Amino acid sequence: MTLHPTIVRLLDGELSLADLPPELRADGERALAVMGLLDRAPVTLSGDLEARVMAAVRQRAASPARRFLRWWGNPQEVRIRVRPWLLGPALAVAVALVLLLGPRSGTTVATSSPATADSTLVRFVFHAPGAERVTLAGSFNDWSLEAAPLARTDGGVWTITVPLPAGQHEYAFVVDGRRWMPDPAAPTVDDGLGHRNSVMAVGSAGEASL
Amino acid sequence: MRAGGEPGGPGDGDVVRAVLAGDVEQYAILVRRYRDRYARFAARMLGSVDAAEDAVQDAFVRAYDQLGRCREPDNFVGWFFLILRNRCLAERRRTKITAELGSTMESAKETRADRRVERDEQRRTLAAAVAELTPEQREVFVLKHVEGWSYQEIAAYTGIPIDSLKMRMHRAYQRLRVRLRPVWDAKA
Repeated sequence: MTLHPTIVRLLDGELSLADLPPELRADGERALAVMGLLDRAPVTLSGDLEARVMAAVRQRAASPARRFLRWWGNPQEVRIRVRPWLLGPALAVAVALVLLLGPRSGTTVATSSPATADSTLVRFVFHAPGAERVTLAGSFNDWSLEAAPLARTDGGVWTITVPLPAGQHEYAFVVDGRRWMPDPAAPTVDDGLGHRNSVMAVGSAGEASL
Repeated sequence: MRAGGEPGGPGDGDVVRAVLAGDVEQYAILVRRYRDRYARFAARMLGSVDAAEDAVQDAFVRAYDQLGRCREPDNFVGWFFLILRNRCLAERRRTKITAELGSTMESAKETRADRRVERDEQRRTLAAAVAELTPEQREVFVLKHVEGWSYQEIAAYTGIPIDSLKMRMHRAYQRLRVRLRPVWDAKA
């Protein structure tokens, strides 16, 4: 039961009913009628939302632990400098370690080099021999499941190199479009929903740290 | 979708900088300003106003926690939308929405006496069908058909290419058509 492309364009607002050929007009009318059933009523949240948010914010502002986390979350605070001439050997050693450690659910290394004045190339390596598809989803690509597919190499090692702007980035690997896996080699943070995201920081001069 | 704040009030960038400088109470200005702006989007994404309220509250708190990482303080609202959107997508991936929407296909078949009742049931059927879309399909569908955003606006705010958005929407239409076949048949 395939939707006619002209009906799709009608629903997308690119065409009007008058633009449709007569044989599709009834179909189009029904499709628009169904869309007319959508509930577009405004939603107003309860009056005490602001009070609840501010209570949580004040609590965080007063909490030494939270203050430490905010300090920790600042990418300026923790850095590991990666020398460009060390990238090749470091990557080779890292990949070798991944392979020598045998089949595990996932192992990641990240190395970096300056890409442009505004970004740094970061290479991600992920070991997932049983996976059919692995993508990198993170705060840098709006958690897209499609924007950053990794390429499979020998031994079930998946890699991708992406330019990242300076700052702290949260990310996870998505295996076969379903399983969200944090990087076991990187620190993680609570995503606020009971799961963990991996974290890496990219400095302003081609530095990356896990 | 506009950024910056409200006429006569401090700009969003000024408020963000004040909060980062330690004036925590200023954050209430941002909460008041944007608390309802994306409430409908969150409600349609999550299936209920209660869930939307939790998501908006969490998003504001998370935005506060990460305020130092807001790269464009003058566009706080755009950044806040992304946090709320990620919160909604993450919850949608991890939970199956059934609350308030439920399955109404059977009841839609049973009660046809009254046109208004029938239409209400069709509305619920559509809402249930939208709730069954994947999070990505549901996002583009809600932003375009409930919030009234163009593909260009959605792409600008989410960073997703327009071709990908249209593909997701096409699949959403297909799934809705299959799911809503009884409704469409009834209207034929």
